Amino acid sequence: MLVLTFAASGVGNCAEVGGVPYVYARTGRGAFVAPARCSHRGGPLHLATIDASGNRLLCPWHDQPTSMTRLLRKGIPAVRSGNRVTAVFAVAADTEVVTSHRPLSPDLCSARRAG
Amino acid sequence: MNFVPNHTPFELSAERLRELALDYASSPIYLDNEEWENSDNPYRRQLRPQIIKHLDFSEPLAADQVLEYSALAANRLLAAIYETDLVFLPKKGFTEESYADFRTFYSATNRARGEMIRPSLERHVFGFLDDEVEVSGSWTKESLAAYLGKLAEQPDSPSASEKAVRGSSDPKRAARNWLIQMAPDFLSEASPMIRNVLGYYGPVQSEWFKVIIDEYGYGVHETKHSTLFEDTLTSVGLGADLHRYWQYYLTSSLALSNYFHYLGKNHEHFFRYLGALYYTETTLVPWCRRAADLLTEVFDGEADVRYFTEHVHIDTHHGRMALEKLILPIVDHCGESVIPEIVRGFEEFQVVNRIADEDFAAQVAWMDAGPENKRLHEPVWGKVEAGEVTAPVAHIVEPHGELSNTHQHDGDELCHIVSGTMKFVSGYDSHQILEAGQGTVIWRNRLHGAIIESDECVYEIHSVGDYRACLS
Repeated sequence: MLVLTFAASGVGNCAEVGGVPYVYARTGRGAFVAPARCSHRGGPLHLATIDASGNRLLCPWHDQPTSMTRLLRKGIPAVRSGNRVTAVFAVAADTEVVTSHRPLSPDLCSARRAG
Repeated sequence: MNFVPNHTPFELSAERLRELALDYASSPIYLDNEEWENSDNPYRRQLRPQIIKHLDFSEPLAADQVLEYSALAANRLLAAIYETDLVFLPKKGFTEESYADFRTFYSATNRARGEMIRPSLERHVFGFLDDEVEVSGSWTKESLAAYLGKLAEQPDSPSASEKAVRGSSDPKRAARNWLIQMAPDFLSEASPMIRNVLGYYGPVQSEWFKVIIDEYGYGVHETKHSTLFEDTLTSVGLGADLHRYWQYYLTSSLALSNYFHYLGKNHEHFFRYLGALYYTETTLVPWCRRAADLLTEVFDGEADVRYFTEHVHIDTHHGRMALEKLILPIVDHCGESVIPEIVRGFEEFQVVNRIADEDFAAQVAWMDAGPENKRLHEPVWGKVEAGEVTAPVAHIVEPHGELSNTHQHDGDELCHIVSGTMKFVSGYDSHQILEAGQGTVIWRNRLHGAIIESDECVYEIHSVGDYRACLS
């Protein structure tokens, strides 16, 4: 397994693991590690909006939905401490990793309010 | 139809919380001391009740507020509340006063009042962690093991506190203050942990007990870890009676100790405790090695560092035991749904630990800057006197021997002596003498106190906010 630390926002907020980019999204329903590339046609999922039901991410290219509930409950295990995210990817520990920056849509960078 | 009572959560209004906190802190054992140190009386803790009416403990502090005075006050309260679960006796037996204090400290009134305010105080000082740390995704035993295993790759480099001690203008003073910050945790070491082995929950309970047996020196008092730490204290000229140096504890040092009580007292955080335990047991090995070297260096070989060298050895086992005998078996037993809490504790403790590390380093800088802060009085006072800086001012007259028990302010202040002599104290064995016409700049969030050395002292405290802005 690959344990990787990257930024929750700002510089270095995108981790490309074996060529697949991931970002850390913070929504009103909670936070999760999300693929930055849509599984449909490779659109910029990091710029997704959340649909009216609040349960799905909509890719800006074709409105392809991605289940947010699945990302929250069944997604990549991760923990954020301040602006640092540590995630555990189910790939070989020596998988190539590149970090870069990807802007996030407003819907993906709104922190959950502490209850 | 039968009456069905309506169950509601326990909550206190801000006003009721303040009243109850004041009731608690007004106990005679919590009033201001006339001395800087408590003397073989583990029940006396200065809580400064006269200030509590001005504080609001009803909301969580933000991450950038956790070193403000409200946090110091709340952490002092919490330390006193948690420790009524522990047994303390004076080293030299009871005096009439300390026996009366013993009864007061463990009285139903003190305990009940403490329990009423404890949940709100915990939320006040630790609530920021809800925002600071967030666990997500689907954790498995394998991903947890991989995640915790990364700790072994953490570089073994000196902490901010260690650098501060080594780089201080008075390393011995800084090191003594460092040891004082460890005292609230180390003298009753493992007591918060023991909260987790009460009850009945299977083989992990027995495994955890083995860690405690080590901490308690297998029943041989001379090898109990707290005894070793006492020897460290006395070897460098410090007293080892409990909370002698209460007034010198920093906000974050109390928070660090309180954090483990918080997790151990509230068993809904049982799994979080395991994560925090793994972090502390694992990182204590390199930390204790460096601490032993640093204390040996600073005190020219005179410091008794067996407390630290013992941990270098035994915590190698405790880190492994925490993972293999406690954490992984408890996941097997309870299921993977408890993993996020373990991860959260692992991360939360790092946050609290980092705050404490940086806070102590800042306090060393504050002590070292005593002469410079005294010198800075002149230009800042010049601006105030010329009317170029206007700030709220308190005019104070105090008699000989009046001791302002240690406290701190949420913004920078200027102390100006109109007449008389003040001994301004910025830490253990750290002070400046201020005469009429002199004074000092006081940094925000830095612990300090004062005692009047003349028959009377007239002085002013100007709440300037940011003293550096006054100099531009």
